[in-house]
Amino acid sequence: MPPVHPLDRPEREAEMSHSNRRNRELRAAALLVAPFVFVFAVFFLYPTYKVVALSFTDAPLIGEGTWVGLENYAKLLGDRLFYTSLWNNFYFVLLTVIPTTVIALMIALSVSKLKGRMQALVLTLFFLPYVLPVSVVTMIWAWMLDFQFGILQPLIAAVTGKAVPVFKNPHWVMPMIAVVTVWWTNGFNVLLLIAGLRNIPEDLYEAAALDGATPWQRFWRVTWPLLWPIISLVLTLQLILQLKLFDQVYLLSNGGPFNQSYVVLMQMYREAFQLNHGGYASAIAMVLFLVIVIVSVLQFQLLRIGGRK
Amino acid sequence: MNSTGVQLRSVEKNFGAVKVIKGVDMDVQRGKFAVFVGPSGCGKSTLLRMIAGLEETSGGSIHIGDRDVTDADPADRGVAMVFQSYALYPHLTVFENMAFSLRLAKRPKAEVKQKVQEAAAILQLTDHLDKKPSHLSGGQRQRVAIGRAIVRAPEVFLFDEPLSNLDAELRVQMRLELARLHQKLGATMIYVTHDQVEAMTLADTIFVLQGGHVQQSGAPLDLYDDPSNRFVAGFIGSPSMNFVEATVEAVTPTGITAQLTGQPDARFDIALTTPPATGTPITLGMRPEHLTITEGTGLRVTVDVAEELGGVSYQHGTLASGEPMIFQQTGARHGMHGTVQTVLPDAQRIFVFDAEGDRIR
Ligand SMILES: Nc1ncnc2c1ncn2[C@@H]1O[C@H](COP(=O)(O)OP(=O)(O)OP(=O)(O)O)[C@@H](O)[C@H]1O
Ligand SMILES: [Mg+2]
Repeated sequence: MPPVHPLDRPEREAEMSHSNRRNRELRAAALLVAPFVFVFAVFFLYPTYKVVALSFTDAPLIGEGTWVGLENYAKLLGDRLFYTSLWNNFYFVLLTVIPTTVIALMIALSVSKLKGRMQALVLTLFFLPYVLPVSVVTMIWAWMLDFQFGILQPLIAAVTGKAVPVFKNPHWVMPMIAVVTVWWTNGFNVLLLIAGLRNIPEDLYEAAALDGATPWQRFWRVTWPLLWPIISLVLTLQLILQLKLFDQVYLLSNGGPFNQSYVVLMQMYREAFQLNHGGYASAIAMVLFLVIVIVSVLQFQLLRIGGRK
Repeated sequence: MNSTGVQLRSVEKNFGAVKVIKGVDMDVQRGKFAVFVGPSGCGKSTLLRMIAGLEETSGGSIHIGDRDVTDADPADRGVAMVFQSYALYPHLTVFENMAFSLRLAKRPKAEVKQKVQEAAAILQLTDHLDKKPSHLSGGQRQRVAIGRAIVRAPEVFLFDEPLSNLDAELRVQMRLELARLHQKLGATMIYVTHDQVEAMTLADTIFVLQGGHVQQSGAPLDLYDDPSNRFVAGFIGSPSMNFVEATVEAVTPTGITAQLTGQPDARFDIALTTPPATGTPITLGMRPEHLTITEGTGLRVTVDVAEELGGVSYQHGTLASGEPMIFQQTGARHGMHGTVQTVLPDAQRIFVFDAEGDRIR
């Protein structure tokens, strides 16, 4: 080190150590985020870029295609099956998102009344289906709803007068897939809502009780407004999840009967992996992506406005 | 109308097998300010919550005015409670927080507005009515919580350590405001606190709770001047009373001569109407302000910590027998730290307790 004037030494040193510390912090930060950035880039950014690029070509599944501009998108806009699929997607959203949230809220409210061990046990029971892989879930329900041997057929017969092959009936197929989906994914929503409920301090309910609130008023004037952020989160997560419907349809009805359960991802899958139209499938994926972004942003904004009122 | 504000008769509370309140009787006169004090975990909050109806009563009865409310719903008891945590509704404005009970009762808009405005004026909250609780200071939140109670015009106000989350200065200010509020509203108030000063300054009646029982109740100065047992004597007053072991050396016509254990030259003549027999072990209680420094014989205290507060100082030390001893000094600034001082109690002001801790008078 060169000799320094004794008076400006402390300052210089402070400055040095300051910039040293910054450098060290930056290095550590870079090191810590590097693995994530790497994985993100390789497995998300690059494939995303590829899909966008592919959607402007006539590429098959493997190998390069030639640039065709917006031709895939133009074709998609005239594809009747695409509109059927999109409609089915929205129909499914209608059948699942709000019902599952309402059911989850009711379950969460009753579970939160339970104490200690009992609460944990019941919560586990509701959460269990969520842990199962989709193939197991669909297998269970395919069995239970089997036209000849399904244990739920007597129930259906009791209501409608005869047994119904639900996954082969155009009216039954979407609602039944919705039932299976709600059964499968509900536990997670219950968990989120329970966490939200636990965050509401008990003394607010005591204060409300002293103020003369009935249980009904306590729910609408305390629980509901304070839980609203979680409810809107659940609604939004559900919307995104249910728009991406594929597995259950593929395994239970394969899009049939008469395309009544055909959904957008189903069509993308068929174009890509059965018809070898990589470019066209990418265009479908892009459009679905846009739809999800637009719808969920729209919904989130709507919910925020609703919450503020 | 009955002059009783709140009346408790052999009230008990069990949490499962644990008895927390073991038979409490108390009468709080209408319009009086009652304070519950006692060590942590003695059941002050539990008792208050039982009066509010937030905890069920396991035994005994609770009357408010002339109604038996033992099994009534909280809302039907005519009580309002101010929680330690304030329990303000975070999603509502100050106005709506205060109006909450009136809204539930579907009162006309004009009446709601008028009552909230009145309460806000009393508590100087008029400028903050449109804010959410999260945008208020601690003291303002406290006032909103009180305002919410005032709006309901209850017969009885219940406070559970309402000032404990405030800083010292604000606490003094709010304490005065509470005293004024009590004068203005004239309602019965029951107040739980840890704070000696709050209890002494606010209370018409202090109830000292310990071990699930009321140890003693009475006006603050009565408890201070005439504690009925060793626990109350030690609990009321800050710094607390000094206790030293002694034995009755002789019974005199007016009382006893007490000989301090392990201090042959320290003996005091104490006036008692019911003196115990010679040889009985007793405990003597002396308040720090009744000990004066003397040149002659007395209690020799080795001072190890001196708390200088400006006007007064508290000298903490130990006797030769190892018992802790605190004495108060006024005006003088001696720097007694590390010295040995001889102090002499005012024999008129020595309290005598038996081995069970009961006062001998
Ligand atoms: N819900 C409950 N279940 C079981 N025990 C309880 C419950 N609530 C309180 N207790 C017990 O009752 C006793 C009295 O509690 P309480 O809260 O009334 O004390 P406190 O006098 O208010 O104490 P602090 O001054 O610390 O607030 C405690 O020993 C506590 O453990
Ligand atoms: Mg308490």
